[in-house]
Amino acid sequence: MNRTEIKKPSRQVIVLNKVRAFFSKPQNTILLLFGIVLTLTTFVPVIAIVNDTFAIHPGTIDAHLTKKVTGYSVVNYVDLFTSRLAKSNLWTPLTNTVLLATFSCIVSILYGGIFAFLVTRTNLKFKKYLSSIFIFPYIMPQWTLAVVWQNVFNSNVVTGTSNGLLAAMMEIYMPKWWCQGLFPSALVLGLHYAPFAYILIGGIFRNMDANLEEAATILNTPKWKTMLRITIPMVKPAILSTILLVFGSSMGSYPVPHYLGLTTLSTKYISMNSKYTGEASILAIIMMVFGVAILMMNQVSLRSRKSYTTVTGKSGQISKIDLGKTGKSVIAFIFIILTFFTSIFPIISFAFETILPNPGDYSFLYTGNTGNLTSKWWLTRDNIAEKGMYGQQGILYNPTIWNAFKGTLYVAVCCALLAGTIGTLIGYSVSKNRRSKWANYVNSVAFLPYLMPSIAVGAAFFIMFSNERINLFNTYALLIIAGTVKYIPFASRSSLNSMLQLSNEIEEAAIIHGIPWYKRMLRIIIPIQKSSIISGYLLPFMTCLRELSLFMLLCTQGFIVATTLDYFDEMGLYAFSSAINLILIIMILISNSLVNKITGASLDKGIGGN
Amino acid sequence: MKRVKRFTSVLLICCMVLMSLAGCTNSAGNTKPEGDIPASAEAMDDANLSEIEKIIKEAETMSMEELAKKAIEESKGKTFYGVGNSSRGKTAIPLFIDYLKTIDPSYTMEYEWQQPKNNKIFDQLSADSLKEKGTFAMTLIQDGNQIESKMVQTGILKTFIPMEWAKANGITTDDYKGYLPLQTLNKVFMFNNTGSAVYKNCWDFVDKDVHALYMDIDSEIVGKNFLYMLTQDKYAAWLKEAYDALDSTKQAYFKPVIDEVEGDAEDLGLGENGKYALAWIKLWVESYNEQTDDGPICNTLVTKSAKDQCGLLVYSKLRSVEESASVSKNNITIAAYQDDYKGIGGYGYCHYLFVTDNSPLPWTACAIIAYMTCTKDGFSAWGKDMGGYSANPEVATATEAAYNHSKGGYEDGKNVYDCKNDRGYDWWTTTGELVLEDPEYCSSVSFTVGSWIELLTKYSAGSDKK
Repeated sequence: MNRTEIKKPSRQVIVLNKVRAFFSKPQNTILLLFGIVLTLTTFVPVIAIVNDTFAIHPGTIDAHLTKKVTGYSVVNYVDLFTSRLAKSNLWTPLTNTVLLATFSCIVSILYGGIFAFLVTRTNLKFKKYLSSIFIFPYIMPQWTLAVVWQNVFNSNVVTGTSNGLLAAMMEIYMPKWWCQGLFPSALVLGLHYAPFAYILIGGIFRNMDANLEEAATILNTPKWKTMLRITIPMVKPAILSTILLVFGSSMGSYPVPHYLGLTTLSTKYISMNSKYTGEASILAIIMMVFGVAILMMNQVSLRSRKSYTTVTGKSGQISKIDLGKTGKSVIAFIFIILTFFTSIFPIISFAFETILPNPGDYSFLYTGNTGNLTSKWWLTRDNIAEKGMYGQQGILYNPTIWNAFKGTLYVAVCCALLAGTIGTLIGYSVSKNRRSKWANYVNSVAFLPYLMPSIAVGAAFFIMFSNERINLFNTYALLIIAGTVKYIPFASRSSLNSMLQLSNEIEEAAIIHGIPWYKRMLRIIIPIQKSSIISGYLLPFMTCLRELSLFMLLCTQGFIVATTLDYFDEMGLYAFSSAINLILIIMILISNSLVNKITGASLDKGIGGN
Repeated sequence: MKRVKRFTSVLLICCMVLMSLAGCTNSAGNTKPEGDIPASAEAMDDANLSEIEKIIKEAETMSMEELAKKAIEESKGKTFYGVGNSSRGKTAIPLFIDYLKTIDPSYTMEYEWQQPKNNKIFDQLSADSLKEKGTFAMTLIQDGNQIESKMVQTGILKTFIPMEWAKANGITTDDYKGYLPLQTLNKVFMFNNTGSAVYKNCWDFVDKDVHALYMDIDSEIVGKNFLYMLTQDKYAAWLKEAYDALDSTKQAYFKPVIDEVEGDAEDLGLGENGKYALAWIKLWVESYNEQTDDGPICNTLVTKSAKDQCGLLVYSKLRSVEESASVSKNNITIAAYQDDYKGIGGYGYCHYLFVTDNSPLPWTACAIIAYMTCTKDGFSAWGKDMGGYSANPEVATATEAAYNHSKGGYEDGKNVYDCKNDRGYDWWTTTGELVLEDPEYCSSVSFTVGSWIELLTKYSAGSDKK
């Protein structure tokens, strides 16, 4: 019998074919490439900072205790955990940090989530206005609300400073817990991050398939039950994402607790850095450990998640809850008042501050005399004549301010383009390879820097890029690298959330028609999830514009706007910092409008602004 | 969970491997021997001098004009980077460029002056020192304690003494062993006088229910150096004298605290009056109201509503206050200017000038340093303000003649703002009892008195209010 011999392909051919098959899927190439790059950019700085905890630093406690100027030792760990200062240097700041992060999460999710629901799922009045104004606290640097808080509530009686507006105008003296410490810090951070919750939760609400809710309605299910059993579980991924992002961000916030007098790991990191350099690095490691712990919790929750497909291409109708004739106006009015104080009042306060003769000098309000107002902060051309300008030129002519603006714009645009593109691609690829271990790893490693507190990431990048071989301190390159790595999660998370909603059938239909990958992306996937993807670019851009905690260790003041703004705020030159804030807000609003005009999407419009 | 464990294990292994590799690189790459901290790096043979030290040695024999010529040769058309705790460096450099243009009209130089806040200047200089050729040519830096332990003992910064500066001080460049001070700045006790509180003795600033406004000692370390200096015999004796001048009621209030810290003073090896210093420090740390900067402190104190508030802040901040309905410089009294005031009037610390040991433009750095310290124009960026005193007696005299700070509060021949009439360095360091920073002393007690201070519980504003 003749046997037909089937030639067995060689092992090499099999491997080659496997490789070819692997790379024929764009998502695999993307995951491999970014998996390697992100592993390096994420772990090497971490290793650098771990190394710093063991290194001996001249002129600091480790050199004093070991009597050495170089080498390695565990003395920093021993001293931090066991010395008489352990309580004040470690345990108290740690407790405060956890409390601050937790309360900030609660405030932001409640405030932002409820607002998102009202805007997207009800017939609330003035949606367009409220939606635009609601994101203002996120646009502004986080400590500006803290500064406004001080300007309003501080008093000679309680805080031992000059009277704030409330004490000066109405002789109302708020108690200490209201003026300083955990309560105002958590509230300010919660309000600052509430737009985050609004954007993420609102995005899901808006894109949600109404079929399930409609089915519930047909089955005569009570509204509250539909809400608890269908609506909230559907937005669970967004709530989890918000918790992850807000917790990590709040933990690493430096300026808010700094201004409002709360000792956290971040503020302790800065204050210990001069004399306890190695121990400060341990604090950064502790903050990072929290980041990793949150990531692991997220992994567990991801594994338990069922399908969260909400966009199927079958139904785009959302049934809106009727708040009633009075309800829709009253609730809108309440939010108009709230947003006035969180969004409009700070702007009025900033504008007013730039025409006061001295920082915080409200003489005009008591006297009504316009002689107690000035344009010197804007128009002074030279810094030779003092005129109470603290050696500064007026805002319009101040090269420090305008150079910082140029620098900030450059960094923000680069970070947004890089982080937005990389994040979107990662989100897409992970959603396509959900069951792959590598995809999960890439997703985690891309997300990890965001969960690590900004100040710790900044410290890690500072240590990593300040050595004999690479010295990038005070360069745009370093800021762009750090910003990109830190902000990829904005885009990857928002992209992944939206891609998970996207039914595979849509892309499969295009694949059957032989449409190439880039066309599928440009013509189908990106247009459908445009608002989420553009958020992935806008969020890094906006965050970068006023990021301080991440960049403060990487450059000097005057290099970018945030460090310049912080410098003026710390120096008490509120006219300058307020003017910079005003210009920042205008810049972001213009950017938002431009993006809106060009792409038809915008940060709030994508959710429910129109 | 298994996957998480595996991930963690791999991460830990990677960390350990890389750390050990980093450790190898460090110990191999570092030329400094491991061992005891050297007492001083100054006893060096000429052969062991670094390139920058050789240039400095040569520069110390040159006149201002010779240095200027060297600078023109070196930096024409280049960019000069400086870093300092004072923003005024940015004002001084263009004046220097103008001066060089009088020698060579075609001379040009771009410049950038950075002013890091908090403690970042030390990180920045340390990071820059790792490069073979640094970015920064020079620095103007404060905080003698950290300069000594982090910058000088490690060889990152080098002192250049201009020949003319030494001459003006009646010494030679070889004789002088300290750092080169550009100026002494003073932080002085002042209070809002719109209320009824009286501050006639430095102990009044730590009295019951008094919470002086002061920059956080952990963010501005010179503030901590002030506390260290109080434990030096001379200043502890001043505190005792002031204590003795108190009435018996006040003495009785402070006595238990003095007794309480007596043992600590002995343990810390302080002199006989050390207990007075420690008591004052304890009361101060446990009472001062922490602020982010002297600017906000000044803004507060000059306001009518800040009745009876007091603070310790940079004197020159008063220069920028503009009169209005609720703000006035006349709401302020400088404590030491009161005839019957007893005790320390404030704290004086220096801005020091250094050349970096990897300076890209060392000749230019030396020339700028000489220009700032030896000419009235070079010092004018600082000299135009009260409360900053040149360390060059000739420049100090010329500056006072030009700006007349002793009558800074006069308008049209009338004494309108008494607090602005600066009584000058000599008055402050004698009658005004200004505590002066001594870098070596600060460095020596940083981990003894310093650690003791860190154990104290800082005051939190409002904690004693209902």
